[in-house]
Amino acid sequence: MLSIKDLNKKYGRFQAVTDLNLEISEGEIFGFVGPNGAGKTTTMKIMCGLLRATSGEITLDGVDVIRHSKRIKDKIGYMPDFFGVYDDLKVNEYLEFYASIYNIKGPEKKKITDDLLELVDLSHKREAYVDSLSRGMKQRLCLARSLVHNPRLLVLDEPASGMDPRARVEMKEILKNLKSMGKTIIISSHILPELAELCTSVGIIDKGSMVISGSVSEIMQQVYSKKVIKIKVKDRLAEAEMLLKEFPFVDKLVSGEDTIQVGFEGDDEDMSRVLSALITKGIPVISFAQLDGNLEDVFMRVTKGDEE
Amino acid sequence: MNINPVLLKELKVRMRGWRAAGIIALYLLILSLVALFIIYTTFMNPYGSSIDPQVSIGAYTGLAVIQFILIMFIVPALTAGAIAGEREKQTLDLVLCTKLRPISIITGKLFASTSQTILLIISSLPLFSMVFLFGGISIKEIIQLFGFYIMTAVTIGSIGIFFSTYLRRTTAATVFTYGTVAFLAFGTIFIGVFYIRIFYQWNYQSFLPILYANPLVGFSSMLAGQFGYFGGGLNFIPGFHIANPVNNPSALKAIEPWLANVIFDAVLSVVLLTLSAIRINPIRKSIFSIFKLKRKSKRTAVDNVE
Repeated sequence: MLSIKDLNKKYGRFQAVTDLNLEISEGEIFGFVGPNGAGKTTTMKIMCGLLRATSGEITLDGVDVIRHSKRIKDKIGYMPDFFGVYDDLKVNEYLEFYASIYNIKGPEKKKITDDLLELVDLSHKREAYVDSLSRGMKQRLCLARSLVHNPRLLVLDEPASGMDPRARVEMKEILKNLKSMGKTIIISSHILPELAELCTSVGIIDKGSMVISGSVSEIMQQVYSKKVIKIKVKDRLAEAEMLLKEFPFVDKLVSGEDTIQVGFEGDDEDMSRVLSALITKGIPVISFAQLDGNLEDVFMRVTKGDEE
Repeated sequence: MNINPVLLKELKVRMRGWRAAGIIALYLLILSLVALFIIYTTFMNPYGSSIDPQVSIGAYTGLAVIQFILIMFIVPALTAGAIAGEREKQTLDLVLCTKLRPISIITGKLFASTSQTILLIISSLPLFSMVFLFGGISIKEIIQLFGFYIMTAVTIGSIGIFFSTYLRRTTAATVFTYGTVAFLAFGTIFIGVFYIRIFYQWNYQSFLPILYANPLVGFSSMLAGQFGYFGGGLNFIPGFHIANPVNNPSALKAIEPWLANVIFDAVLSVVLLTLSAIRINPIRKSIFSIFKLKRKSKRTAVDNVE
């Protein structure tokens, strides 16, 4: 659906984005991760026709987003990281204004406004002035605004920034709803565990370059090179260790009081073979689980940060 | 009919509440006081008669001048923040990422800001109709005056919008807009004075072309034309020498200064609005990059030849 090829953006001498390549398929939720100033917002702005790239190409369904920006703008909904709202408009008027930009008129405009307010749980605030809304509500309203023309692709730049935990959970629920509606979503965030839970794939960008991208599990595998399995057994720990060492794909064993952490280089079938061997030997296995990698840890490993 | 959504939104916001009504009331109060003062002083003149067309001409001129000055003060304040304010409130990107064309955003903003002024102008019509009681002024002249007001308001509005798009801060845009209006109104006269003093030693018997850009000169030449004087009350300005067009067969001289000023205003407005629309287009190609590309392609051609 969205394809980025050799994207470069320079601000004077400063190279904000360097040779960025990315493919995002229909229905995907892509998490864009990176430290401040990594080039996430710049890339997102170029996608939405708000900045001209220095070189490279972004196409949406094969159509160049810069050359045919007017055609593309119907298909993209954008929510910036910092956004303003017109203080002197009411919530419904705010959405109706954006609807009228897309030539949505009459009863359809009212229906869309009502539906969107319901989606972002702001129906009870439809007659309130935008100025009187809390930050979380304003962000939800801004998300509703980006959906007013029913775009296929949503570009959300830090949609949950500055929100309290409750508002973040509500935003996550809305995004899950949008996912179920089949929208393709590109989302940047610093709240990595939430991204890992929500996204089908993730890209980590640092100093303008894409460091790593793929599904969360693929990234984990690339970064950690091997899986870690945690096995909890009752009483017969030494016997279990002996047995595990016999397998060629078992790399390293770290034993605790009643647990063994195993560095594992095999695939899923090898994992099931290990488990069945333990059970066949009569070792009482209480739990056997692959440890989930932590996206935050991956992020810290692959990004260097500003070391001065 | 498709009404520009930006214009519609702005009108809704600007006309909401008591503020808009309050501004109109205050504006009309000032104009009424001026009209009453002029009529009172004219009636108090022991040599004047009670039904004298001079009363209406005095009141008309007084009202027209005050209204013109008010327009020159109000419009910059209303327009200079139009785009810079959107940038400060971080709402500009949200409009730019929609399918609304930059020129629609610019014209929507311009007409929303100037429509408030146009409303003030139109609301003053009943006051102007008062002068009909005394005779001496026709409807055609009032229409001509109001047309000139609207054109001037749109031009000053375009200047405001232009600075609002090129400067990031509303304050800076407001200062530059007032500065440009002051330059057009007074700067052109100073330039004319220095030019005539240096090159003609005050002996210049024609209309100085730079004054065609001056709204005050255009305005006074129109009033003067309405009362049948050529030169009006501004004959003391060097270069403001208006001859009867009937005696001037050349095309430029046959155009009255107010009409030339209207044409200048129209051209200036179109140029400034176009530049503003280009400026806010986020994916515009920079002029410098076009030059760079040309230079690069030239260099490549030279390299190929070598």
